Amino acid sequence: MTTESLLQQAESLLATMSRGSTRPETNRLDVVIESSGLVPAVSALKNARWGYLTALTGLDLGVEAGVVEALYHFCSDAAVTTLRVRLPRIGGSVPSIYQLIPAVGFYERELAEMYGVTVTGMPDDSRLFLPDDWPVGVYPLLKDFDPQSAQPVKVPPPPRGSSTGERFIIPIGPQHPALKEPGHFEFTVDGEIVTAARMRLGYVHRGIEKAVEQRNWIQSLYLLERVCGICSHTHSVAYCLGVEQLAQVEVPPRAQAIRELIAGLERIHSHLLWLGVAAHEAGFDTLFMYSWRDRETVMDLLETVSGNRVNYSANILGGVKIDITAEFAEAIRRGIDYLEERSRHYLDIVTTDTMFLQRTRGIGAMTREQAEHFGVLGPLARASGILRDVRVEAPYGAYTRFPISAVTAQAGDLEARFVVRLKELFVTCNAIRTILDNLPPGELAVKVPRRIPAGETISRVEAPRGELFYFIRSTGGDKPDRVKVRTPSLCNWTSVLHQAIGCQLADVPLLLAGMDPCFSCNDR
Amino acid sequence: MTTDPNYPWQTVFDKLKTWARVNSPWAIHFNSGSCNGCDIEILATLTPRYDIERFGVKLQGSPRHADVLICTGPVTRQARERLLRTYEQMPEPKFVVAVGSCAISGGVFQGCYNVVGHIDEVLPVNAYIPGCPPRPEAIIDGVVKLLESIKGK
Repeated sequence: MTTESLLQQAESLLATMSRGSTRPETNRLDVVIESSGLVPAVSALKNARWGYLTALTGLDLGVEAGVVEALYHFCSDAAVTTLRVRLPRIGGSVPSIYQLIPAVGFYERELAEMYGVTVTGMPDDSRLFLPDDWPVGVYPLLKDFDPQSAQPVKVPPPPRGSSTGERFIIPIGPQHPALKEPGHFEFTVDGEIVTAARMRLGYVHRGIEKAVEQRNWIQSLYLLERVCGICSHTHSVAYCLGVEQLAQVEVPPRAQAIRELIAGLERIHSHLLWLGVAAHEAGFDTLFMYSWRDRETVMDLLETVSGNRVNYSANILGGVKIDITAEFAEAIRRGIDYLEERSRHYLDIVTTDTMFLQRTRGIGAMTREQAEHFGVLGPLARASGILRDVRVEAPYGAYTRFPISAVTAQAGDLEARFVVRLKELFVTCNAIRTILDNLPPGELAVKVPRRIPAGETISRVEAPRGELFYFIRSTGGDKPDRVKVRTPSLCNWTSVLHQAIGCQLADVPLLLAGMDPCFSCNDR
Repeated sequence: MTTDPNYPWQTVFDKLKTWARVNSPWAIHFNSGSCNGCDIEILATLTPRYDIERFGVKLQGSPRHADVLICTGPVTRQARERLLRTYEQMPEPKFVVAVGSCAISGGVFQGCYNVVGHIDEVLPVNAYIPGCPPRPEAIIDGVVKLLESIKGK
């Protein structure tokens, strides 16, 4: 179906609930609904199998307007439908849609703690991102938030030795050998079997979304690049694409191709990194060391091209600042050839090594239906047979010119996730070769005004872990009014926490590693 | 380290302890709000290309077995208490290394509402390794400099 017909379908589905709809961009439909119409509207989209809920954005229109908006973004291929619920700034309330879409649990908790919107019927309303000592009634993303009002309050210690003596809870983290990043998990176990799982995020929550509002458009680029040290390029691409759309600037083809090239190199580095960490969780340290040794090849390439190993800062608003010379191209080709050969070897290992297969085959299997129900993204979805890849569904930048093919598997278990990610390495290597062979000539960047015209836009980019979603709003000033970052890890947690139930406790570390979590992405 | 002239064996014993510590410092890594960049580079220093283990450095899971606390990132409000607790659990003598711009100064995250500040506002720091993120070579250099300074004690 074309984007246009998808949007028309959505419009007719939502016709009875709609209080006015607009088409802000060719691929977007914006429908204003009452909070009482939210549940029927979401059910209508869900029952018609119209896409999936990709993000929930809170938006404060300022003290004078007195309105807070909750934006539910649904995506189907390139079409995006936004359900816009207008709420009073103080005491606003929306019904929870957790029963329809479980993945919304984390988003609703975020909306509640950042904007003070009451979400009625939330199964879990505990703190998610804000610290335990954060005062009640202070909401950081409201425009009139005063940091002085957020002085730490005394928190009572958690109750010890609860009366429900039947349960045994194993706490994991935030400082734990199996986690390189801080997150806190509580696994309730019955013998060796996990019966319930909970998690607490927020150890790495820095408040980037608020900080962006205090920085200008260019400073924000460098800040957003540091949301995540692994997929930093993807974050800056998503931000640049959004700002360029708002400024109605056409990025030169050469810059677009270089963006895709670096995104490809970043994907290789991220997947090899993940392979090592996942192998380490399975107790296969030899594979960990080998894959990290080979990962240095791609790190060298990134350093050759950009001058830095991690935050490459290749993007500027309106293009890129680095060029790929013939020398670089030759170095990249050599590196890619080597990595492709090594990846073949790794694929062979993870699909044939008997010991390793005992830790992965059939473990944590997620069917296609489950994956759709939980709204998983990225390699996790593709391992369960759902073709969910923004590069294919809604090609952006150079992906229209240099298309890639998505890799899927059917089994949905840990083994399939290994296979999907490793096969993606081959696809990425081929894409990089194609780009190097057909690198368009021309400029590297165009000028972008210092003040960005008022408007709202959405940019979706495929990060190594799945779809990365940015919502950007400008009021015409030299600073962003709102930048919402929804990272793929946050979507995938719901499914993994559900899958852990019924698993052996010993499989949990590998199950967590299997989704390739990134806490600094989650927490922002 | 104090030595009592009445017990010359203690001098020998102290020297032996320092020798052992310098030759095999065990480290624990704590991320108190980092973007991951530094953490990944720390891990990379352990892997074959850089292989910091050849200097006897071992990354340890438990703070009770560690001599060196390697900190990355600014300190967020939620992680602050955990960082302090991790530090307190380490046996004396203990050393702190702040890795990366954020750990040293707060970096780009300075002034964010959930960031308390940089590492040395919370813990005494022995060595600073600048960079965003520092290269593995820089991390090795920092650790070697720390070990040199321990030698003199």
